[in-house]
This record gives sequence, C-alpha cells and structure tokens, in this order.
Amino acid sequence: MNKTLNINGKLQEVDADPATPLLWVLRDHLGMTGTKFGCGIAQCGACTVHINGAATRSCQVPLSAVSGTGVKITTIEGLSLDSSHPLQKVWVEANVPQCGYCQSGMLMAAAALLKDKPKPTDADIDAYVSNICRCGTYVRVRAAIHKAAAMMNGSHHG
Amino acid sequence: MGNVAKAVNLGRRRFLVATAATGGGLALGFSTLAAADVVDATAAPGAAPEFDAWLVISPDNVVTIRVPTPEIGNGAATQLAMTITEELHCDWTRVKLEFASATRDYVEDNVYSKPTGALAFFGGRSTVAGWNSTLLRVGASARERLKAAAAAQWHVPVAEVEASNSVVSHRATKRSLSYGQLAHKAVLIKLEQEPAIKSRSEWTFLGKATPSKLHLPKVVNGTAQYGIDLRLPGMLYAALMQSPVQDGKLKSVDFDKIKDWPGVHGIAVIEGGEPLQKLPLITQLPREMNGPRTSAIAVVADHYWQARTALAALPVEWEDGDGAKWKTTEQVFEAAQVLIEQPGGIVQKSLGNAAEVLAKQPKIVEAIYTSPYCDHVAMEPLNGTALVTADRVEIWHPTQAPKHAHRVAAEESGLAPEKVFVHPTLVGGGFGRRIGGDDVRMAVAVAKQFPGRPIHTIWSREETTRQGRYRPLLAVSMKAGLDASGMPQAFIAHEAGRAIDAGQYTDFGPLASTIGLSDASYTSGIIPNVQVESHTLPIHIRTGPYRGPGYNSNAFFLESFIDECAHAAAIDPLEYRLKLHASWPDPGWTLCLKEAAKQAGWGKKLRKGMAQGIAIGNFGMLGQPKTGTVVCVVATVEVSKKGVLRVDTLDAAFDCGRMMNRDAVRAQMEGGLTFGLNMSLNEMLTIKDGRIVEGNYDQYPMLRIGDMPKLRIHFGGLSDHDRYSETGEPPAGPVGPAIANAIFRITGKRIRSTPFRVHDLSWT
Repeated sequence: MNKTLNINGKLQEVDADPATPLLWVLRDHLGMTGTKFGCGIAQCGACTVHINGAATRSCQVPLSAVSGTGVKITTIEGLSLDSSHPLQKVWVEANVPQCGYCQSGMLMAAAALLKDKPKPTDADIDAYVSNICRCGTYVRVRAAIHKAAAMMNGSHHG
Repeated sequence: MGNVAKAVNLGRRRFLVATAATGGGLALGFSTLAAADVVDATAAPGAAPEFDAWLVISPDNVVTIRVPTPEIGNGAATQLAMTITEELHCDWTRVKLEFASATRDYVEDNVYSKPTGALAFFGGRSTVAGWNSTLLRVGASARERLKAAAAAQWHVPVAEVEASNSVVSHRATKRSLSYGQLAHKAVLIKLEQEPAIKSRSEWTFLGKATPSKLHLPKVVNGTAQYGIDLRLPGMLYAALMQSPVQDGKLKSVDFDKIKDWPGVHGIAVIEGGEPLQKLPLITQLPREMNGPRTSAIAVVADHYWQARTALAALPVEWEDGDGAKWKTTEQVFEAAQVLIEQPGGIVQKSLGNAAEVLAKQPKIVEAIYTSPYCDHVAMEPLNGTALVTADRVEIWHPTQAPKHAHRVAAEESGLAPEKVFVHPTLVGGGFGRRIGGDDVRMAVAVAKQFPGRPIHTIWSREETTRQGRYRPLLAVSMKAGLDASGMPQAFIAHEAGRAIDAGQYTDFGPLASTIGLSDASYTSGIIPNVQVESHTLPIHIRTGPYRGPGYNSNAFFLESFIDECAHAAAIDPLEYRLKLHASWPDPGWTLCLKEAAKQAGWGKKLRKGMAQGIAIGNFGMLGQPKTGTVVCVVATVEVSKKGVLRVDTLDAAFDCGRMMNRDAVRAQMEGGLTFGLNMSLNEMLTIKDGRIVEGNYDQYPMLRIGDMPKLRIHFGGLSDHDRYSETGEPPAGPVGPAIANAIFRITGKRIRSTPFRVHDLSWT
C-alpha cells in the first residue's frame, strides 16, 4: 500500500514495507542518494536528515513513523535549492570534505545546530555533531560551522 | 552515423564511448553501448574534440581533464588537473574532471600509465615521480595547438598570440577566441616541435593557488556519486555474506525459507577458489589481498533492505576450516611472540655486526612491542555494481586502483581485458582497503549469476569490517646496545606478523611488514650496526595495506623504543633525536624536530599530570635520505590520577620537500594525524574461533569532533628539497609514540602496545 511522504516540501508516494527504514526509502525507492548508509545502527550519522526540523538518523526511522503530510522531512538535497546555505558555501570554500561521504550527514547535523543555536560554542558543536568522519575533517568542520554562523548572524543583523 | 572516422582504429573508437559513459554519461547506458560503439566521438557534430587521451575541450569552453587517479578524498585527482592547468592556461573555474578508463589504457598501449608505471591508476597520491613532466607537457602541447589554430585563422604569426584563462587573443588587432571555439581546429594541428615546459620559477598556479577539491560542489548538495549511489535501469540489489572464518566454505543454505519473500529474486552461491583465468596483476598490489575468491552467498532482491532482511533470515551453515583453530587474540599474539624468539628470520637489514657490537656495550635496552589487527572502516561500506553478459563486463566501482580492478574483473569473468570496462566512481574513503580488488571480484562473481542485469552488491557495515584486508597484527623484539655516552651502537629487531604480501609478491617483498623499522633513518646509517629480521605468522586472516603500511605500527615501536634509549641514557628525548640525526644526510629531520619542538614550546612548565612527548618518522624513504616525507609530532597530553587520558594538542612539522597546493597538504596532515590518533587510542580487532569479533562502530570506537585535540600544523620543517612527496600516510606514524612517550613522562608507565584505551594509565 502506498504511503505519502513530505520530503523537501514535496509530497511523494512510496510503495514499500512500512518497516523499511527511511534511509532505504530515500535511497532505493526514491533515488535520493545524498543521504548515506554508513553503519545502520545510528552510530555514524551519515544518514542524518531533519524530521520536523530535528536532526535524526534515518537508518533507525521506519517508514511508518514518518508517513503522512504532517511530518516534514528535509534531506541534503533540500538543505537549499541552489547550494546557497551558508554551510554549503563555507564547506566548499574552506575545502572541508575529504572523500565527502560523511559530509551530507555532517551538514545536516550542523544545519540543525545553527537553527537551534545561531551562535554555537565549541561545546554546542560537540553536543550536536556526533557524526563519524574517517578522513579526519573534524577541525575544518568546527571552523566552518563558526564561520557559517558568523555569516548568518551578519546577514541577519546588518 | 556518417561520421565514422576510418583513420581511427577500432580499439580507440570503442574507447571514446566507454569514457563518455564514465564521465557522468550514464545516459548512454549499458544497453545502448553496442550501437554507440561505431560513432567516432571526435568527429560527431557537437561532440567535444579530444586533444589526446587526457584532454577534451568542448564548444562551451569546458576543459575536461581525464585523470587515472581516483578521488579518495586526498585531492589527488584535483592535483593532476591543476598540473595540466598550469601549462594549459585554462580557466580553473571551467575545468571538469573525468576518471580515465583502464580499458583504454590497456587497448592503447598504456596511454595513461606509461609515464608513471604501476601507480598511475593508484588512488593514493598525486606525487608519483613522472607525473609532473608528463602532465605539464600535455597542457603545454594543447595550449600551443590552440594558439596555432587561432594564428592560422587570423593569418598572424603564432608568436603574436597569447593564451590565458581559456582565451587566445591577438592584442594588436584586439581579436580573441575561446578555447572552446578553437578546439575543433586545434585538435587537427600537429606541432612541428613540442613546446618546452616552464621551469618551476615561472609557475603561476602550482605552488601558489590553493583551490578546493573539484568534487566538493556535488558533495555539499548530495549529488556526488559514490559507488553505493549507482542506479541503473533494471538494477537489482544484493546483500552479501562471506564465510565468517576467512577461507572457510559454505556447508549448506536453505533458500526455500526466503524465496517467496517480497522482492527476492534469487540467491547467488559463490564458491571459494581461483578465478577463471589468471592475468598479470599490477605490480606492488598483492594478489594475496584479493584471491583466491572467498566462499560466499548473496541474496538478490528489488531493494537492498529486502535483500538484507532476507539474508538475515536465511538458514546458512559454514565449514570454518583450519582458521577456526585460532580461538583467541591472545593465542595469535603468543604465536607471534614465539616466532620472534626463533632463529632464521628473513633478513630485512644487516649493517656491520650487530650481535657482536651489542654484546660489548655497557648498557643494553630491550623491549617487546605489539600492535593489533585494525580495519580501515572507510565510511562508504564496500560495494560494487556489475553487469555481465556473454561478451562484455561493465563494473561501476569505488575502486582505489581502477587498473587493478580492470584485471580482476577480467579474471573473474574469464573475458578478454578489452571486453571489460571499469567505471570508477567517487570513493567514500580508501586508506588502502579498496586496492586489492576482492570487492571487485565479489561484485563480478555475484553479477555473473544474473547475466544481463546490473547487480549492485553491498557489504553491510558488519560484513565490511569482518571481511577486511587488515593491518597485520605484529610483535617485535628490539634490543639496543648503548655506548658510554648513551648513544646506540647496535640495534637488533625481530618482527613477526603476516606481511601484506605473505611472501607472494616480490615488489613490496617481505619488506611490507617492516617498512618503518628496517628502512628508517636509525636503521639506514645512523646506528652503525643493525640487524632486522622478519618472520611470517601462518594464519588465515587476510591482510592488506592500511594508511602507511608497516610504518603505521613500526613508527610506534621504533619511536617508543628510541625514547626508552634516551631515558636509559638520561638524555632529553628531543636532544637525543637531534644528536642521532646530527650527521644524517637529510636536513629535513633536524628542521622538523626543531620546528615542532619550538612551536610546541618543548620544555615549558606544565601543570602536574601534563607532559609532552616527541616522535619523528618518515613514510616513503625506503632507507634513503631526502626521500619520502618526514613528520615530527610533539604531543601535549594530560593523564588524570585515575588514568583518564586527554590529548590536548598535537604540534606537527613535516618535510615533503616542496608543495603544489599548501591547503591540500595541510588537509592531508590534519587527516593523517587524526587517523593516527584514532588508530593509537582506539583501534583493535579481536579474534574468536578464527573469526573477527567486531562488526560495527559500537564495537570499534571512533573519535568524534568533541574528542579532538588541537591540531597545529607547522610549515617550518620544509627543506625545499626538489621533491613533492606524499603527505597522506606519513602523519599517521608519529602520533601514537609521541603520546605514549608523554604518558611515560606523566605516569612512569611505558606503553608497549596499542590501543591505549585498554591500558591502565592510573598513577600516584
């Protein structure tokens, strides 16, 4: 039976077992491969999406839990229409990703952080960004979050 | 179809199509390739003209550079494009990367790999000798052909035209044409004489610009395509399980239990054993890593989740075989420690007369060190997509070594190499894991059983971790004889473990396990009498290169042991290393020691419970001064009385000679230090009844952003020696020993094995 999902502001019909994790619904049923599979046990964060604004590991969320028009799902493909989110801009300028595989999840975690805490401290970053990166981009991720926050605050206030 | 160019040989035309399919041109698809085969892409209207195998410039003025090096995150692909750009004078913002085809390389007489040999298609580095001159010539030649085309069109001497930022202009008449407008004519021009390439002092881009990696815009919006993101019409997904004891065999499987499950198409049973044919694989890449084929099963379904769920419910029994005799990790360490006491190891280095001289010294320092099996745990789980038909194999793969993958796919399919097409994708982390091609072999083996359908095989995280090609477990005994001044006059080491070659490969040779021990500065001339021997541990667990093969363990052993010698001699650890390297004919070592120490404030007063440790190493030197990259790390560390370890800062200085892209080098230093930190603090696989216990990140802990120390990368160690050595692997070595040496200064405990997390570091 088809389920309706509200993804990136668009309603989508999916025919999948209701127990299928959102991660695989996105990747295999809808072809939205920006959300990555890393571990399948909510450890690595590569599959992070926003569900009603909250950063969530989509490998642990069954389709049945997010069906319906009222549940707003945002994926990396919907973070902005044109890669214009300050995080996306800074990420490229500061050469943050190495292989890049974990970075969709990093960006979604960072975006949720900046929504909650527009001027995050290092401790805030530590608390919100628990994603694993094997390449070792952590120092750049931290610096880029601070830089994006400064850009966003600047544009809000001046 | 009227544009079939008779002058172009068949092999070459076949190639253009395959290459187009690689470069995001999946629209061509597998089903239309046969028809497209006869089109000459260079002559087709609107098709982008090809200057040579490396370079295409399209009418919309986009420069497409084909690079054999995959992009595993180190920026190697971007670097090759930068090098061509230096001479091509093209607009960097309009440069596009495409992965070169290993099939074309095969069909066209090693067109990509001739200049650099086996490592051309190796996704490890951009610094292989031979790249620079080749790529600079490619760029210079195309630039001159573009200029000649413009000069001919304008009827002016070529000396009067200039090429800059993808535009050729004639200043006197104020005329200009873009590279895209000129390309069709330029490709037909044959230069009477190839231009000379610029000297380094004339470079305007290399060594000056620090562009970000070219694939990043697609990373940040989720459109970057890794192997696991491949989607083809009609594609099915396979969930894979190999014999849990490597080299075991399938005993029974009851497919009936799941055959009616939703989406399930079938099961592939893969027999262990040798491939259909054996081809000469690429040198330096051990066959042992990928063959013989492991025994495996795969459930094939419409969707991966269906395949994975069905696999988990599938009744399957394995015959563990001989490997099951290794009951525990301790048993393996004990076997290794027995071996290092045995005579008759493979002699890796012999200088002077170590045994005799050592016996005469007033002070002997000796110790045994060990390191465990570790997995690469790259973020993208292993996967591959293959389409096998009777006369063609296509494979889309996140390989670190496409040329090797091409041969492995041919071996496994039994087809001739010219009928095998490897389409490299972006790679979600390599670190050495995606070189050997066991993943390629398995993807082809599964797809072979579903001919005509693309099969996308995915290893779960647990399968990826438990079916690794691991960093070998090693044990080493070391002995040094110190003279009256405390300096070592003789050094003897016996090391045991399974070398990544297991003796089957001559290029790496048995050296693989002792890289960083038998070819280090201390054992290559500094200590006059040296004996290093290695012993192979006969165990079934397969091993492979892992960031800085051999060196990643040996740098820990040797630099901790040198610290023990300094302590025995009652000499400051920095001063001891400076004395040892005082007459070593490579000033980079002393520069790096001094730079790291100065920047870290070596010797400064720290509160109780804090201390600094120092270590230095070089990956790539193979016994030679002014070779490879030197990295010196000073770790500033705190250990609470209860034994909680906190790494506060890592100060690193390095000498790779020279740099092409300062920011890319910095990124590799950051990544390598972080990797070395995780390896030393956290990583360990254990064995139970012949199988690997740890499957996922909950059992194999990883550092998170909040666990990171301050990383301070310093550039004052650079010697400006004329080389551009790699920077990804070298930093992984000295991190662990620098921390262990600091721990010793705080706690008095000498840490002789990794990971540090399992040690009791409490002190009073």
